[in-house]
Amino acid sequence: MNPFPRFRNILVTMSSSDELTLLRKVAAKDRKAFEALYHLYYRRLFGYLLKITRRAELVEEVLNDVMLAIWKGAAGFDGRSRPSTWIFGIAYHKALKVLARRTEEQSDPDSPEPVDREEPESLATRRELAGVLGRALGSLSPEQRAVVELTYYYGLAYPEIAEIVGCPVNTVKTRMFHARRRLKELLPGLGVTGYAG
Amino acid sequence: MREWEDRGERVHQRIWELLPWYVNGSLAEREREGIETHLAACHRCQEEERVCRRTATAVAGAGEVAPSPHPVQFQRMLAHVEESEREERRQAGGRLLAPFRSFVQAAPRPLRGALMAQAAVILLLIGVVGWQARHTGAASPAQPPAVYRTLSNPDPAPVPSVRLRIMFWPKATEREIRDLLHGVNGEITAGPSRSGAYTVEVPATGDPAGVVLARLRSEPQVVMLAEPTAGELGKPAHD
Repeated sequence: MNPFPRFRNILVTMSSSDELTLLRKVAAKDRKAFEALYHLYYRRLFGYLLKITRRAELVEEVLNDVMLAIWKGAAGFDGRSRPSTWIFGIAYHKALKVLARRTEEQSDPDSPEPVDREEPESLATRRELAGVLGRALGSLSPEQRAVVELTYYYGLAYPEIAEIVGCPVNTVKTRMFHARRRLKELLPGLGVTGYAG
Repeated sequence: MREWEDRGERVHQRIWELLPWYVNGSLAEREREGIETHLAACHRCQEEERVCRRTATAVAGAGEVAPSPHPVQFQRMLAHVEESEREERRQAGGRLLAPFRSFVQAAPRPLRGALMAQAAVILLLIGVVGWQARHTGAASPAQPPAVYRTLSNPDPAPVPSVRLRIMFWPKATEREIRDLLHGVNGEITAGPSRSGAYTVEVPATGDPAGVVLARLRSEPQVVMLAEPTAGELGKPAHD
């Protein structure tokens, strides 16, 4: 029995076959279907991208890149995985790409100072990022954080996580190993005693 | 004996690795049964399972922080998609012309001018033929009928609208303002005033003014102030 049944609902709110039908219409450049897909996935992708990037100001940009990739690539989706797996995989790679680009820009001594522009952040977002858990998750690498969130928040199996992040299952387990060790150091409330693997 | 111990440690390590997915209930049946058998006898892994459950509860308890999408955001995303498609078409056009360009460059210099002139004439003829084909016969149903004003035909009645007073942040870009107004079917009809305020009219037959104002105010990085003009709320501009 799955002790976390509600978490699967975060990822799946429409049956896979219905989502596949929607994707096929997007592949045929049906804009109504594309809009439906956008509304279907917006909140899930927003939350997911925020969890990986930990930067609210990047989420909208990455989300638009993801939707563009779906628009262009829907025709190439072969249906071997679930549509949500494919979409979350795109989102994962787009997020890492943007993070890498921002890291490069910020380490370039000639790059201009970022414009100090107030970005609206909801109270929930600020709480997510600034709490003890938020800071602990923020100290993980994006790759480790993605595995932790996909496991504990989204309730996914490790083979599906491997498909989303595009790596072997042993790499998923290794990332989780390091993440667990790090979280234990930072979250004494988890009650670590004795063996830590 | 050592081989037994090593094997036992490897099994233990394998179980330990799978505990997060045992906790989230996603393991295949065979793996799950193997873990339960091991857990029954291993206190270290029992403790680690408890740690995994507490971690899962903490992470899962963070809740959903995502807002619902705003129509303006969808329009922005669509604009991003359309811009990308336009760029692709421009590049494809360049690639289509590349063989022609190579052909012209390979031709002797005196002939190049004649080849370019020939291509221009052919394109012009194609354009003329296409234009004639589109404009012969009845008017296209997609085009609205021409409106003629005569002495007995008064000006068409103005569309009822509601007037709003809006101030935009100085750092808001023209694109952001345009997308925002497009999203609420708004049109700037006056301004800026000395204080920097614009009058924006939105159709009275569309969303209620309160809903439009809420949408405008949900973009605080673009809109500094949005309010109905004095006496406007509930009253169309043209009765």
